[in-house]
Amino acid sequence: MAISRLFIANRGEIALRVLRAAQALNLETVIGVSDADRDSMAARLADRRLVLGPGPAAKSYLDARLVVQAAKASGCDALHPGYGFLSERAELARLCDEHGIVFVGPEPDMIEALGDKLRAREMAAAAGVPLVPGSGEIASAADARKVADQIGYPVLLKASAGGGGRGMVIVNGPAEVESGFNRASAEALAAFNDGTLFMERFVPEARHVEVQLVGDGKGEVVHFGERDCSVQRRYQKVIEEAPCVAMPAELRAQLHQAAVDLAKSVNYRNAGTAEFLYDVTRGEIYFIEVNARIQVEHPVSEMITGRDLVQEQLRIASGQGLSVSQDQITVSGHAIECRINAEDTRRDFVPVPGTITRWRPPEGEGIRLDSHITEGASIPPFYDSMIGKLIVHADTRDAAIDRLIGALDSFEVEGVPTTIPLHRAILKDPRFRSNTIHTRWLEQDLFASQPLAAE
Amino acid sequence: MSAGKNLSDLEQLIEDFKRSGLRELHARHGEFEIYLSQDADAPGLDAPKVSVTRKPAAKQAAQQSVPKEAPAPTPASASSGAEASWPAGSEVIRAPYLGTFYRSPKPGAAPYVEVGTTVEADSELCLVEVMKLFTTVRAGVAGKITHVLASDGELVAAEQPLFVIAAA
Repeated sequence: MAISRLFIANRGEIALRVLRAAQALNLETVIGVSDADRDSMAARLADRRLVLGPGPAAKSYLDARLVVQAAKASGCDALHPGYGFLSERAELARLCDEHGIVFVGPEPDMIEALGDKLRAREMAAAAGVPLVPGSGEIASAADARKVADQIGYPVLLKASAGGGGRGMVIVNGPAEVESGFNRASAEALAAFNDGTLFMERFVPEARHVEVQLVGDGKGEVVHFGERDCSVQRRYQKVIEEAPCVAMPAELRAQLHQAAVDLAKSVNYRNAGTAEFLYDVTRGEIYFIEVNARIQVEHPVSEMITGRDLVQEQLRIASGQGLSVSQDQITVSGHAIECRINAEDTRRDFVPVPGTITRWRPPEGEGIRLDSHITEGASIPPFYDSMIGKLIVHADTRDAAIDRLIGALDSFEVEGVPTTIPLHRAILKDPRFRSNTIHTRWLEQDLFASQPLAAE
Repeated sequence: MSAGKNLSDLEQLIEDFKRSGLRELHARHGEFEIYLSQDADAPGLDAPKVSVTRKPAAKQAAQQSVPKEAPAPTPASASSGAEASWPAGSEVIRAPYLGTFYRSPKPGAAPYVEVGTTVEADSELCLVEVMKLFTTVRAGVAGKITHVLASDGELVAAEQPLFVIAAA
């Protein structure tokens, strides 16, 4: 069904990003914000602004009933959840369905299935997608011992219900199995209210690669190439790039095929990302999970393909289907994104809320900034610390690194500390330049070898 | 893409708003602007306040209008009085930074401690969360909790006193 008025159920840079995509498609926009975001850029640019509730997210952005009520009351016929908050909660998609609002995302059952990592693994296996050697549900420490002995140490215990490193424990040998199992299930229970665990072989030197997909829900799926997100701190991505030039062309083709096969096998609808581990030593890829939403790092895929993924999401939601076929999607050049967070790199990355007193972002050819910040903007203490994403595009990876260093060097922010010094340190490091890094490189090697200079 | 607002649309909007449970609605359409508020403090008004104003100009571009600086969140002051009033041997436990104060490990769970709870140096007292980063605050001394100075879910300032412990 055609949509004409879109409700934006998010905040910050992604709310603004969705708003601009909606405006480009001539949709009216309504945004639901918390009291703390009433003067945000997205709130000022939307056709309507509704204040959902007070600052704490539980009473505003995370209250699905309130969000859907607001969308309904303002006459919206579609709702975009952005990322984070309620974007992967089946409850929100269900409420939208009940109220006749088009949810810009997959069907509720699909969200639920993909949110359960064990079920997602089963779907991937059924589609012939390579998995990291592992197990189904592990019910006890004795069970864990048996499976671990079969797989071979070290192994990784993971929570089926979650991510972000919670409920994840590395077990290096038989003596650690019992305490590791107990710790992982306790953490999973505390974080997700679900202690279900499974096990995978631990890959010590892995790169995180992922494929950007868009499906129309009727079996048509296209990919927009892959991204390499191997620079991570505490399981959070810090820098993302596209394409992954560290991977041989043959393996890259396999990766794309695996991702598309999986999405086609379930008639996937919406933009989504299939995440994989790339075991560099063995030259193999293993499926990890699907993220059934637009992701923070989607701009690097947009930069190398010249396509607008959020507009693509909106077109699919309105029943127009995909605007491109696979052979119309071509990749050119290299793109890198830095997540700029309001955090103090000298105090163990503690997030710092406050007011931006100076904001002079870099401009120029091949530079893109996705941010909701202007001079005088306040950063509330209630939400995550990302205040923008700086993205560059150039002909080669080397040229992109140089362009990004130049852009970061001229980026002036005052009022709160930011992670800009961290990005400069990473980009100037020879190991990043030579592309010999893995997901634990930042914490194990870079942090060990140099203290981060203050601005 | 949509028809212009006429009066019945407006009435419908106000009706919807009354039923919606929203606190506030601010809508612009062309030169019309409407602001609805369910202000509990509005004297003698059972119905929402309604004001409609004509806007002279079209929307300004974002770059031209620098927003008013949003007021910084004002954490509740520790009204529990001067520090000097704690008896000798009292240990005051403070917030590590500005953030939201949580008395229990997760919603619905029992609080870590109550007044009268006996604690060890490594006992967990509360969580303080800023921008999704949770920090566990520990007692640091052995003793008994004599005061809990902040309420669950409250925004507390850096260094704000949270607990008083009578050291053992």
